[in-house]
Amino acid sequence: MSKGQPLVMVCAGGGGVGKTTTSAALALALARQGARTLVITIDPARRLADALGVRLGNDLQVIGLDPSTGDRLVALMPEPSLATRTFMDFLFLEEPDAHARLMANQLFLTLEDKLAGMNELVAMTLVIRALAAEPFDAVIVDTAPSRYALDFFTYPARLSALLEGRAVKWIATLMQRAEERRGKDRRWWSGWGKRQVEAAVSHVLGTSLVQDTTHLFAEIALIRKRFAWIAREIDNLLRGPRTAHILVAAPTGAAEDDLFFLFRRLVELESRAHAVLLNRTGLELDTWVRLFEPDVPLGQHARIQLQHLREEHFSRVQASQRIHRRLESLPRPVPVVDLPLLTYTEPAEIVQELATLLDPSLRMLTGWRSPHA
Amino acid sequence: MVTGKGGVGKTTVAAALALAGTRQGRGGVLVEFSDGDAGSRALGPYTAEVEHLVISPDDAITRAAGPLLGSTLLAKLVLGNFAMRRLVRAAPALRELAMLESVRQIVEERPGRRVVVDMPATGHGLAWLRVPAQMAAITSPGPFRTLVEKVNRDLMGPGRCSVVVVTLPETLVLRETVELCQGMMQEVGLDPACLVINQMPSVIAASALAEVQRMVAEGDALGLNPALQAALKRAQALLEARHHARLLAATALRDALDGVSIEPVILPLSPHDPTASAVAGWLMDGGLR
Repeated sequence: MSKGQPLVMVCAGGGGVGKTTTSAALALALARQGARTLVITIDPARRLADALGVRLGNDLQVIGLDPSTGDRLVALMPEPSLATRTFMDFLFLEEPDAHARLMANQLFLTLEDKLAGMNELVAMTLVIRALAAEPFDAVIVDTAPSRYALDFFTYPARLSALLEGRAVKWIATLMQRAEERRGKDRRWWSGWGKRQVEAAVSHVLGTSLVQDTTHLFAEIALIRKRFAWIAREIDNLLRGPRTAHILVAAPTGAAEDDLFFLFRRLVELESRAHAVLLNRTGLELDTWVRLFEPDVPLGQHARIQLQHLREEHFSRVQASQRIHRRLESLPRPVPVVDLPLLTYTEPAEIVQELATLLDPSLRMLTGWRSPHA
Repeated sequence: MVTGKGGVGKTTVAAALALAGTRQGRGGVLVEFSDGDAGSRALGPYTAEVEHLVISPDDAITRAAGPLLGSTLLAKLVLGNFAMRRLVRAAPALRELAMLESVRQIVEERPGRRVVVDMPATGHGLAWLRVPAQMAAITSPGPFRTLVEKVNRDLMGPGRCSVVVVTLPETLVLRETVELCQGMMQEVGLDPACLVINQMPSVIAASALAEVQRMVAEGDALGLNPALQAALKRAQALLEARHHARLLAATALRDALDGVSIEPVILPLSPHDPTASAVAGWLMDGGLR
């Protein structure tokens, strides 16, 4: 069924807007239409796993939420705390000795849980591995709940610029020399040249850190070609011609700020937002008008409680309308899909209902055409 | 230092704490490592009452490297080197350390003031707080070690800093938060000064729910027209969902904090984004020191 590259949808949004649930719903809607769909979450909150009844791990798992999708809906939910290890295993696949040295390097062991963007890199690497093993029609990427969730787009390129260029060799040599010069020249600040940089690095960092850094860079130099390949593959997936960026928002001031921040960020990253999904919009004016008509025999307690809900509802309506107006006034207007506030209590029910509500907009959002249609 | 995952209202709490600092006569300072949008929005009309500092990661690195190399000019030269620039951008933990060092400098320059740091939401909060201690363990004597020790002593040391953890009353989020608090005590030696449970759903009066349920059940007998009956059904669903959310939140909170010696401050779920001033009031009513 699949030919060439799959359709890729990257969902981004601030925290608390229902991005994870919406990503799952989008994937379910595509699977219902016959698309073999892979949904991957980078969100360490693990809510999607919980809602879909899958466990965390590096393996593909079929989601059995809706019997009609058969084995077409597949999830990938890497355990965030193992991200760096997983990535290094993949990166050093062909260099087992270097891998063993890396796992004994104090600097690496200290830093491994702080490697920025590592969850994202691992997730995308697992997607690349999955696509190499079997074909998919669509891939939904649920990014971390942050304004900077999309910044990892630049991370593979930044790392590979560091690794492919002269920089790594230069730093490895620099650290090597700095190690040799340690203690020999106390007046490291006199003058300015290559030797002085070496001495300065040694003076500032101290011996053990310089040694660990030297060795770390020597190992990294071994796998730079493989890393560059991974970086290119990730870049193809995230910014390729079949990739769409979906921004998820909700009608609150904070979510609105995050939405427009992400708009600007996408432009800076030489991409653009394809559509906006606005969750929990309140457009049920009818309900509220009817309930508060003078002849309705509403009890006192119910009246007070419902007045609070009405106030909440109106503030959501106002925020939704403001977001719509701002989106319409953009130089290149972006389509918006409004999704209502759902009252289901089970996350799985919410995912099912959202998938049904998204169905009419699926063509617009994804360009996906069912092969059976 | 205000920490918590994305979307929990961390910035609002940070802004409120800074504002409370000013109102208690200690001159509140809000430090934000972003573009400053979130802090400005949270402060809203109270911007003038708080000193709002916005620090980009690059600024933080230059700021931290200045004293390290003897001068800001030298720092700019070293960081301007093509390889160093790439290394520093890609290197982990350097940014975090530079940001903490920037905070240390800000605190040093403002004795007696209350400096509130809105910590970045990315990554594990604990990993951030562990950076200085881990860096101290892997460095040998030299200016870098001295800087790390200064951050440890003057910023992270006991009595110097307190951590406020912001979270939501949801089972999984709370579980992560309790792990974070325990890890902080055991691994970093920092007691969370305050655990803020944000967006607690309000109690739905049982009498109100019963009244609506009765009207829905007896709609035909009461002679209510179909449109009104539909509206009532929707109102009932909304009330029941809210009631359920309250029960879930209360249960999650009780289970998560059972046997944990942390006294939380609970803030209500508000239909509008609450102002920093309102949150400051809630925090002080909640017994925040």
